[in-house]
Amino acid sequence: MTLTLFLQNILNGLSVGSVYAIFALGYTLVFSILGIINFAHGAVFTLGAYFTYILMGGAFGFNGLLANLKLPIALPFALAVLLSGTLSGLVCIAIERLAFRPLRRRGADPLLTVVSSLGVAFIIVNLIQYLVGAETYTFPANTYGSLPAAVNFGTTENPIPIRTVQIIIFGVSAVILTGLTYWVNATKYGKAMQAVAEDPVTASLLGINTDRFIVFTFFVSGFLGALAGTLVGSSVSIAGPYFGIGFGLKGLAVIVLGGLGSIPGAVVGGLAIGIIEAFVPSEFSAYKDAIAFAILFAMLLLRPQGLLGRSQIQKV
Amino acid sequence: MSKISCGIALCIPLIFTIGCTSNSSTTTGSSGTSSSPSTSENSAQGAIPIGIGVAQTSNVALLGQEEVAGAKLAEQYFNEKGGINGTPIKLIFQDTGGDEAGAINAFQALISKDKVVGIVGPTLSQQAFSADPIADRAKVPVIGPSNTAKGIPQIGEFVARVSAPVSIVAPNAVKAALKINPKIKKVAVFFAQNDAFSKSETEIFQQTVKDQKLDLVTVQKFQTTDTDFQTQATAAINLKPDLAIISGLAADGGNLVRQLRELGYKGTIIGGNGLNTSNVLPVCKALCDGVLIAQAYNPEYPSALNQSFRKAYQAQSKKEPPQFSAQTFAGVQVFVEALKVLDRQSKVSKKPLAELRVALNQQLLKGKYDTPLGEISFTPEGEVVQKDFYVAQIKMDADGVNGKFTFLK
Repeated sequence: MTLTLFLQNILNGLSVGSVYAIFALGYTLVFSILGIINFAHGAVFTLGAYFTYILMGGAFGFNGLLANLKLPIALPFALAVLLSGTLSGLVCIAIERLAFRPLRRRGADPLLTVVSSLGVAFIIVNLIQYLVGAETYTFPANTYGSLPAAVNFGTTENPIPIRTVQIIIFGVSAVILTGLTYWVNATKYGKAMQAVAEDPVTASLLGINTDRFIVFTFFVSGFLGALAGTLVGSSVSIAGPYFGIGFGLKGLAVIVLGGLGSIPGAVVGGLAIGIIEAFVPSEFSAYKDAIAFAILFAMLLLRPQGLLGRSQIQKV
Repeated sequence: MSKISCGIALCIPLIFTIGCTSNSSTTTGSSGTSSSPSTSENSAQGAIPIGIGVAQTSNVALLGQEEVAGAKLAEQYFNEKGGINGTPIKLIFQDTGGDEAGAINAFQALISKDKVVGIVGPTLSQQAFSADPIADRAKVPVIGPSNTAKGIPQIGEFVARVSAPVSIVAPNAVKAALKINPKIKKVAVFFAQNDAFSKSETEIFQQTVKDQKLDLVTVQKFQTTDTDFQTQATAAINLKPDLAIISGLAADGGNLVRQLRELGYKGTIIGGNGLNTSNVLPVCKALCDGVLIAQAYNPEYPSALNQSFRKAYQAQSKKEPPQFSAQTFAGVQVFVEALKVLDRQSKVSKKPLAELRVALNQQLLKGKYDTPLGEISFTPEGEVVQKDFYVAQIKMDADGVNGKFTFLK
């Protein structure tokens, strides 16, 4: 393997891995506070991408109930992402109210909540298909202004091109990681969230409104899901309502590899899986998922707490 | 921690299980979007039930929805023309989803529950290899609207197709590319290895590349579910190919075109039959410009029937009819015309279903049909015999949003 190919694979891996990381952060947040994986996150990720697309003035195709719908206003990308994140956050709050809270109140087995979240995921995905059809929607070419389509990290003779949008996703993952880590560890709200994650009953005896924090966590996870969905959608198009489901499975491998409930773990896990996949030769590319899940199983056997998790799980 | 590990380990098969259940449930659940009257209702109305088993959901729905549109136009067109000598036809839709299990469920429902006389479907060759044998064993004629892989008519005596095999259609695109740019030497081939059709198509493309004495510099594989092709695209670009040939479906193929162009590939691109849909245009937008695709259908084909079909499709969808819609229309047409011939011999609505299905299969293989695809007939094995093929090039408008397939002379 030449140095150029090696560097190309590393950069490809980092750019793909940052997509996995940004997705897995949403899983991690909810897991850190409830100890449950919210499988509806993939559907919210998809929903957020559609929200941003329509808020930017994108018109839908000729299938579905909203065929040919176009909003009279077209928001700039940044504003559309913020609004889409807020809407998706509210959807996540509704999911918490309808699919999580009733089961939690009854002290149901966590597995039932997982199944309930899967049910919500399929309802959302089918609803999206009913409303807008299965067509692919692509964000406008000028979504990121006049930035070039790709940046060459090599020379003219030995180019190492990386798509600009992937660099943006990598940057956003880094900013979110820093922001969330600071928020959880250095703010009063973050510490209260850690207390809820540690022991909701004790936290509530200490005067912390646990339900409020759980709702807030779902909102943040929905917001991040929409942001991730939008960024990935702007990179590879919104490939229909099932778009987020594939990422959902990969996100699972990422958080187990990185350490369940660990925010830096989600990022490290995402980048690690991205890089491993990039080094899989193309003749074996069909087995990329198998390799990701083989790593997951190996990790469960050898280091169940993941790369950055602790044997006594430190939530949040 | 071990509890959590077990929980996760339990969840993984659970997701797959629920994923599968979802596919089969959407199959039966498709009755919400389709009409599934019982056989007795059909006989009460006197309508002849023809099954349409295509992918209305999943990532293949992009193609399946085009097929549904073509089938519905055929139903409307032939019923307005008097149906089967005065008896209307009634299309019964069952959603196959995008996988083999969904196709099997849909076919079984059409055969046993809906009691159709014949089936047009499924969408993918991959699905046909699983579902067609079921229809063949039940002696129900099947017409594949978009199954172009090698070996489809050979599945059984009740299996035919109106979609010309890839071995006949695909080489035309390579020849057209060489006509446009005779300097093409190095070729990079990409194909979706989890799709039977794409695998079959790439073999033909690779053989054509060799036959044309071109240099096949790399063969890159991907999955139809992939979205990121940076690794494959950069690996190929480093070998400086003049021509890239892609066998995949609309979403993945379109994304690959887009990412190849964004990463600096400037050569010619040929798309396979899976990219032969206007649904690829929203994926790669302005970057789709110039992609060459071999065609089994030309909307400008001058027959009166095709122009009626084209006008009806345009009125509904505000765009040119895609090949899959035309092929599904042709599939329904073959059943209708064969039923008409049988009906003239003895009233088909009075015939026992099993007898009618066998007679229909024998009759449809004998006829000649002037369809939107041009004149077609079948070999005794069920392979379509089609006269005209075309090569189209995608031309995008200046806004980079809208575009069309322009046919090369």
